[in-house]
Amino acid sequence: MVLEGYQVKLVPVGASDLEMLRAWRNDPKISQHMLTKAKITKAQQIRWFEKVSQDASQKHFVIWYKGKPIGAANIKALDGKCLESTSVIEPGLYIYEDKYRANLLAFAPTLLLNDFSFYDIGVEKLKAVVLAENQAALNYNQKLGYTIVNEGPLIEIELERLSYEVASKPLKGLLSRVSGGKKSGV
Amino acid sequence: MASENQSKLIAAFATALNIDTSLVKDELAYNTIPEWDSTAHMSLVAELEDVFDIMLDTDDIIDMSSVLKAKEIVAKYGVEL
Repeated sequence: MVLEGYQVKLVPVGASDLEMLRAWRNDPKISQHMLTKAKITKAQQIRWFEKVSQDASQKHFVIWYKGKPIGAANIKALDGKCLESTSVIEPGLYIYEDKYRANLLAFAPTLLLNDFSFYDIGVEKLKAVVLAENQAALNYNQKLGYTIVNEGPLIEIELERLSYEVASKPLKGLLSRVSGGKKSGV
Repeated sequence: MASENQSKLIAAFATALNIDTSLVKDELAYNTIPEWDSTAHMSLVAELEDVFDIMLDTDDIIDMSSVLKAKEIVAKYGVEL
């Protein structure tokens, strides 16, 4: 299942993506923000792929923009149920390409994942945890309507559908335009 | 006209980002100061569109990652800078 919108495409991870994803995930610019920072070996990566390929409680994607892979995204059912019957999902993503890390485009894959979770699966809420030192990720999620529910070394955040709809509307507008031009000619 | 539009662009940045015009330099980039976050970016798009009577397409909104880039982008829409 490919998710597409807001200028990006989320394509399920395939075997041919594994080495690229491993290199990204092992890069300190990405791993420093992860809960587990240990280097991932090729064998571990293959075992991970075999496991998640059989697991109906999670989906993993490569983020594509203009024909190039720029990052990775995933959703997981927090109760371990299959995604279609869960009520709470934890989304996650990182943008690897520097050009798009501090860029409005970084919101696009999350909008796709959140739309899919709220409107296709019909979950009640999304949950995530952010390392307390990762202020950028916290700000990013708060722009999407997340609220902090528990503070500590790990900050727990939650997003309900209505908050998401209100917070994401202007972003969706900007990331969904078809074409521009002179206003008088539009 | 060109220098007038330069001033308009700088004023648009200062208004949208709520910063002093003296801080609006070519090298100023998105997310490098707290004032230029995604919310301010949306205000900036609206401000530039209003000031120059243009409508930016999404690719340009995404590409508008610095003041210099913004100048290049509005020029594409026929704004003389």
